[in-house]
Amino acid sequence: MKIKRILIANRGEIAVRIMKTARLMKIETVAVKTAVETNAMYLANADVIFDNTEDVSDIPVFLDIEKLIAIALKTKANAIHPGYGFLAENAYFAQKCIDNDIIFIGPSPDAIYKMGNKTIARKIALAGGIPMAMGSEGNISNEEEAVIIAEKIGYPVIIKAASGGGGRGMRIVRKSDEMEKMFLIASKEAEKAFNDPSVFVEKYIENPKHIEFQILGDTKGNVIHLGERECSIQRKHQKLLEEAPSSALDDNLREQMGNLAVQIAKAVDYYSAGTVEFLLDSDKNFYFMEMNTRIQVEHPVTEIITGIDLIEQQIRIANGEELRYKQSDIKLNGWAIECRINAEDVQAGFAPDPGKIQNFHMPTDACVRVDTGVQAGSSIVASYDSMVAKLIVKGKNRKDAIKNCKMALDKVWIKGTKTTLPFFRMLMRHQKFQDGSFTTAFIEKDLEKNYYNSEYEEMLAAWLATKLFVEENFKDNSNSIDFEHGKEMSPWLLNKRINQF
Amino acid sequence: MANDKLQIKKLFALSSENKKFSFSIPLKHSIRIGKRDYEVKLKADEKYGTYVLWKNRKYPVEIIRSRQNKYEILFNDISYTFTVETPFSLQRMKVLNSKKDKAEKEYIKAPMPGKIIDVLVREGASVLRGEPLVILEAMKMQNEIVSPVSGTVVKVTARANTNVMKDDLLVEIKL
Repeated sequence: MKIKRILIANRGEIAVRIMKTARLMKIETVAVKTAVETNAMYLANADVIFDNTEDVSDIPVFLDIEKLIAIALKTKANAIHPGYGFLAENAYFAQKCIDNDIIFIGPSPDAIYKMGNKTIARKIALAGGIPMAMGSEGNISNEEEAVIIAEKIGYPVIIKAASGGGGRGMRIVRKSDEMEKMFLIASKEAEKAFNDPSVFVEKYIENPKHIEFQILGDTKGNVIHLGERECSIQRKHQKLLEEAPSSALDDNLREQMGNLAVQIAKAVDYYSAGTVEFLLDSDKNFYFMEMNTRIQVEHPVTEIITGIDLIEQQIRIANGEELRYKQSDIKLNGWAIECRINAEDVQAGFAPDPGKIQNFHMPTDACVRVDTGVQAGSSIVASYDSMVAKLIVKGKNRKDAIKNCKMALDKVWIKGTKTTLPFFRMLMRHQKFQDGSFTTAFIEKDLEKNYYNSEYEEMLAAWLATKLFVEENFKDNSNSIDFEHGKEMSPWLLNKRINQF
Repeated sequence: MANDKLQIKKLFALSSENKKFSFSIPLKHSIRIGKRDYEVKLKADEKYGTYVLWKNRKYPVEIIRSRQNKYEILFNDISYTFTVETPFSLQRMKVLNSKKDKAEKEYIKAPMPGKIIDVLVREGASVLRGEPLVILEAMKMQNEIVSPVSGTVVKVTARANTNVMKDDLLVEIKL
């Protein structure tokens, strides 16, 4: 193995995840300690910690190319894993690594650049005859041009950032008088988020399913796919729950879409792990959307049903090894569901709810895998994303996986921030989720209530409020509380402690 | 006052959706479902923090806020707001509510701390329900703050590229 020591240019659960596999492969890892998260869990998993807490720069170190290269050189790391987000899809960063004799664990700078630029990616797909939603040939410069294209292909259309991703810089336009405003918003948002105001227009597919294919390629030109993931449960174009496989695909469609995903990857000489995203409409027509040139947040569901460690494959491919699997070796076994437990307030429209995790317990059942970067005492800080943990549950089939997931959700115990747990509890009980008929519009259109509470929970909460009132106002009332294991504590003492946080 | 309190036989917890839960005083540590009483316990320990034990299951609880008779409680990851009323205060409230005028203005406040990316309306503009007013960025997400009502913008306090705290006033709309 050429790779001896990997600098993890990331934090949180994905840093922990990469370190786990590196350790199994007897490769050392370097983590970067930052001033915002001096006690983060990922630090405890690394062999070497680079202390960057004195850095007073405005940009986070995980976005600072020069700094990361310098850290790799200083700590003698001969490879960098970018994780997801931050610089994971930055072609310049990948090139800088190569220029400094550091192995970039990911695809070539050329593949990152081509797939990262949506207008170039569209041209490549078009040349290969890949089905795509109709749209503008290249970028469009103003709202008049957008209106002309929209009239040609028909409303609704979607304006997308050319350098976009993660749902930012996207706006749906349903009629021409909305175009001016939406064009400006999308373009401004794109400039802000990706430093590139260019946008393009394409036909908006109503109520599609989001289906993506995991692919793996090596530097010898071999490319295979590892089946699909369905990620239709989204809010604001951000995924909340992913599963593999998808109930919307049969073997025929899987083979057809999988082969096209491989074809797209081959068109840019792709190597490493990557994801080809499609939209699937209700008539089972599918359209190429984009390719993500990194490991995805939702990669564990594919790992569960294929038994293949994707991080290990990324490292081996970066090491120059040939793929150990042929397409015919890939078998999908059982079903896996991933719930993204985020520090968000579902009752306030999924608003972020940063805070300090007080108690943290996750289920330990055999059907459950937990990928997390937090433990009791960790803080979910506002400067990063709101991820607390990924709860990944498997089952023999979809029904079994849903049953196990429902059970596992009730065993998760997180105190300190509000989380998306009540949303998933609702989802597991929702008819449309159970029968698989949900689409990307599910959260916006099909939900009356985006959380679940059992029949008596509100009454119990009312009892607690009344108890507090009694203890505050009726001083003569005994406030003895029965504590079997725990020590006796007045809720008022508790309240004071909470206010101190 | 002491005499008044002795006379209170019942308390009511009113939810924000006007659901009424009544409890007899002195408050029992049990809740009756049908013909059976089920014991309720409030507990705390190192491992789980505070929780309510009911029907052999632990539910995480937290008191988020309390002011006078108003309580915000987090129960099994869901927040509930209750006002606890005595039979007298409940009666008084009913009278007051019937006299209350309908609000004429809607105050749009920041639902979370963050940075204002863009302000999409000017004073004097008429807006429709659901129309975006302000774009607020928080935790790497851009959030459109939309108008909950149709009306005329009378005041815009939000400024692009400034930071706001939760509940800071952004826009005032006259119905």
